[in-house]
Amino acid sequence: MIATIASHQLLSLRRQRVFAVSMGVLVAVTVMAGILGWSSHRTIIGVYDEAVKLLATRGETAPPNPFLLKPTLSMLSNMVIYITLIGALVAIVIGHLSVGEDKATGIGRLIFSREVSRTDYVVGKLTSSAIVLAIGMVASALVSVSALLIVNKSMPSGGDLIRLIGFYGLSWLYLMVFALIGMVTVLLSHRRSLALLSALGVWLVVTFALPQFTSGLRPSTALNPIIDPVSTSQTFFKVTANARPYSVAEQFKAAAGRVLQTATAESGGATIVRILPIVGLFVLLTLAAIRLVHRHDFSRSNLGD
Amino acid sequence: MTSHTQRIFTLAHHEYRSAVRSRTLITLLAILVVSTLASVYIGSVAHRSQVTDYQAYRDAAVASGLQKIAPSPLAPLSLLRGAFEYLQIIGAIIAITLGYLSVSRERANRTMALIRCRPVTAGEFTAGNLLGAAAIIATLVGATAIVGVVGIGLIGNDWISGGEAVRLLLAYVASIVYMLGFYALGAITTSKTKVAANGLILALAVWLVLVMVTPQIGDTLDMDNQVPGGLFKALNLSRADETTLLTHFDAYETIRTRIEWVSVAQHYQRFAFGMADVKERYRHHNLGWLFARVWTDFAFVLIVPGALIAGLKRIFRTQPTIPQGAN
Repeated sequence: MIATIASHQLLSLRRQRVFAVSMGVLVAVTVMAGILGWSSHRTIIGVYDEAVKLLATRGETAPPNPFLLKPTLSMLSNMVIYITLIGALVAIVIGHLSVGEDKATGIGRLIFSREVSRTDYVVGKLTSSAIVLAIGMVASALVSVSALLIVNKSMPSGGDLIRLIGFYGLSWLYLMVFALIGMVTVLLSHRRSLALLSALGVWLVVTFALPQFTSGLRPSTALNPIIDPVSTSQTFFKVTANARPYSVAEQFKAAAGRVLQTATAESGGATIVRILPIVGLFVLLTLAAIRLVHRHDFSRSNLGD
Repeated sequence: MTSHTQRIFTLAHHEYRSAVRSRTLITLLAILVVSTLASVYIGSVAHRSQVTDYQAYRDAAVASGLQKIAPSPLAPLSLLRGAFEYLQIIGAIIAITLGYLSVSRERANRTMALIRCRPVTAGEFTAGNLLGAAAIIATLVGATAIVGVVGIGLIGNDWISGGEAVRLLLAYVASIVYMLGFYALGAITTSKTKVAANGLILALAVWLVLVMVTPQIGDTLDMDNQVPGGLFKALNLSRADETTLLTHFDAYETIRTRIEWVSVAQHYQRFAFGMADVKERYRHHNLGWLFARVWTDFAFVLIVPGALIAGLKRIFRTQPTIPQGAN
């Protein structure tokens, strides 16, 4: 039954063109991240060469090229930002549609007129969202490998490929959290649009408000993969920093930076500790979705909802 | 008051009252105000000790009979940087929500036909809605402004001067116009789609491109943002050296600035940051000098919302009064 519900949902997403649009958006942002990384890298190398010439005319020695110390995957560091900004919104829409459509069109009523367990229903819906997002991540990973191949004129090393797989796996987990937020909000709200806005509110809090509270990061900082350290010695942060491990957007960015080697190195255990709150939130939201579906009155769903 | 004006004010009052009743809007407003307060608090605590240091220097200088006392290098308005960033991002979403709710509410309640069967012209309907929306947005912007200014005064121990208040007022007027543009966008996309939720998604997609993606591209391509602390500092280069070097990368800089130029959000940010002393090079100048540098950004902030509002008026004129869906 799980497979039937999941395949029905996949068919529905495909017919509504949500599948194609989601894939298009995810691939487009990966291409954009590659182009931006390549373009800025190439220009900065040029800036360094010019700086060396300029300093030489004054008899000064240029400092070492800051880019020589950069890892090969740093070209894709923008992807970390796009996953939290754009990928999360795509995931919310996918999660929202997976239950919202059933509520609005009355299909939910039809499904539960048959012998379908409500847990199977949630697992089926979750499976379909997981498959769509996984396909998106695989497509993004392939585009990333192609970008690295074009820029470096050689295949990424085995270690880099493993890191890429790790990054996209982590991104998939992060996106699943937002797909679940889309599902949970639609189950909690009477109107679909208000559910969408509530999910958007959660996204705003997770992406912008929490990092401001726990680490003093301004909203614009969330847009740049290179973050200038902010002083957090104030008493305010001594209190709020306790919540930093639960600021999942920050933890995702930090863990992704470690996986791609674009951030300061830390032990594997420390990176896993960063990922644990994301796993915890995923489990909590899954349980919440199961509970809400069990309690939801699908007989009250209608077209005008 | 003529009956024409009376009708516009009645519609505006209806718009305002309905919006205030929306729990979603109140929640988004709460997120905006709390985030603003947090950003102002964080900046103001550090600012307070700098104000104390300057005051100690000033007292010592006065006591020693020093003739020339250096003016305060501090810029209290710059503490509102986070507040303006929140208006740019969350404020725009709130405005889209307002526009969406304005249209979807009339559809869901089936009151559009009721209103239009009364002697109300499409122009009066648009004017009433816009006036109501402007009042809600002004209330919201006013709330964040009060939180910001009082926060700087009480926490940062630095009350803003009359001149700074005028610049701040201009920045907040720009904020209201900027948000009205997004209100019009939300109302237009909702009016043009049969299912209101799809209109909301469409407006949010446009928001994503204008407010998030294009400024992000410009910011990421900025050479100085490539290394923590700044590339030019890492290379031990002065501002003059930076200007000399950039002449070799005209094409790159042109493309980067053109991408940023497309975004009304970026123009709004430049204008607000200019008025709020965020950029050091804009500090300690009079309003005339400052306005000469940022007037194009201000013009952009007026033109884009103006065009959207004109589009909204046209759409309200042609919108069918029979409900097309109630989502």
